[in-house]
Amino acid sequence: MIEISITGTNAITFPYLEVWDWRIVVYLFLGGLSAGTLVMCSIANLRIPKQPVEELAQCFKAPFIAFVSLAIGAPFILLDLGRPFNSFWLFLTFQPLSLMSWGAWGVAAVLLGNVFYMFAVIPPDKRNLLKFAFFVKVAQWAASKMRTIAKINFALGIFLGIYTGVLLSSFSAIPLWNNATLPILFLVSALSSGAAMIVIIAHKPEIKFLFTKIDIWLIVAELVVILLFFYGLYTSTAPYKKAIEPFFSLTSEHFIFSMALIAIFLLLPLALRIKLGELKEFEGEVHGEFTKHQIFRMNFAAILVLTGTLILRAAIVYAGQLTKLSSY
Amino acid sequence: MPKYVMVIDVEKCIGCMACVIACKKENNVPPEHYRTRVVEEVRGEFPHLRMELRSELCNHCEYAPCIDACPTRASYRAKDGTVQIDKVKCIGCKACILACPYDARYSHPDGYADKCSFCDHRLKEGKTPACVETCLGKSRIFGDLEDPKSEVSELIKKYDASVRLEFAGTRPRVFYIKKKFAGGM
Repeated sequence: MIEISITGTNAITFPYLEVWDWRIVVYLFLGGLSAGTLVMCSIANLRIPKQPVEELAQCFKAPFIAFVSLAIGAPFILLDLGRPFNSFWLFLTFQPLSLMSWGAWGVAAVLLGNVFYMFAVIPPDKRNLLKFAFFVKVAQWAASKMRTIAKINFALGIFLGIYTGVLLSSFSAIPLWNNATLPILFLVSALSSGAAMIVIIAHKPEIKFLFTKIDIWLIVAELVVILLFFYGLYTSTAPYKKAIEPFFSLTSEHFIFSMALIAIFLLLPLALRIKLGELKEFEGEVHGEFTKHQIFRMNFAAILVLTGTLILRAAIVYAGQLTKLSSY
Repeated sequence: MPKYVMVIDVEKCIGCMACVIACKKENNVPPEHYRTRVVEEVRGEFPHLRMELRSELCNHCEYAPCIDACPTRASYRAKDGTVQIDKVKCIGCKACILACPYDARYSHPDGYADKCSFCDHRLKEGKTPACVETCLGKSRIFGDLEDPKSEVSELIKKYDASVRLEFAGTRPRVFYIKKKFAGGM
């Protein structure tokens, strides 16, 4: 038996870490959503190479949604800073070993690339809505380079999706976070949430159907990676094995994490089931418009995926801070 | 350049907590925050118990994860090898607090990260850290590991000193010596 009493503890680290809270969860969720949306709309815009460039932008709302997601999400990490007015220091240096430094520069780069993407996909008949002639010229130029811009945004989206996971996995002091599966898990869930978002916002039935099919694979991959994530920790050394306890103990004070895991394994398979049902219903092809009921069902499945992604990030962020390398 | 280290002789600690108080006074540590702590660890089953009193503080690690995690170089290695914080550059992102396996850091009410500095302002004056100077049992010993004749060098050689969480690979510069007792940290 070991009994420990400590004089001189700080509330931020004892009895467990209370360092990052819901603001980081929102940042990681919206960052992941933005990443996934960018990747998925790049796939939509790049998948048919033979059309004239002007008609290639099949997916023109998604870059805007991705930009808004990240533009809303990024300030949440600023809200978490103890000294937000000092944040200009982030841009006076680059620290290659610091993931926060990668994030500061990376998010800025993604937002910049995303701006060009937004210009590139504005339909020609809508360009007159741009207030300034300069913006119209930029939109014309960007549209002619749409494929290149889409490729760059695809890469930026992948970077952002991985980054949200690597940010956590870089902390060697936190056993739950510190493993190589987490960035893959966050990337896959980001891509899945992006596909879900495209399903919600897309008008064209074939685009909705395409991303329903893509999301089926992504949900399956996500469920497999979640299992691998926990299995990897379970087969690891003591602090890492202990780190997954909150997720598998309905009776402990941290049972909410078990509930989160159960919720994820209810929501995602349910979404998967609905999507597989759609696949069977349309038998691999889409004819004409969807009915309102079908659209509702697709959107419902997409919302399940988005909710699962949010719960996953919240659970990992909070549960990670219950775990330490030391025994107290 | 010197290589400042601290040796903690756990047998000599009497648990008076004078080090905790001296540190707070010397460094104006705000209420309810601490740069150093004393852990009282009781092991075994009654009546076969043994107690260890152990001081803990920033380990000024050679491979400091807090320095790697810092996006602005606010956490940096000083010329004397200690790990210090530039409060002006700190943005309060708290990445260093998460990166430290020893829970040595806290968030100052003014927003920046704070921790033990080995009383660098005192070192510049040729003094030892406040906790070392005030330690009644002489449990805390401070010195230069580069000097083979220093007390810390002698103690580390003589007592096969250990460090906290050696497996974390951070190469701490706070060493613990136990002449009689063994046990985890």
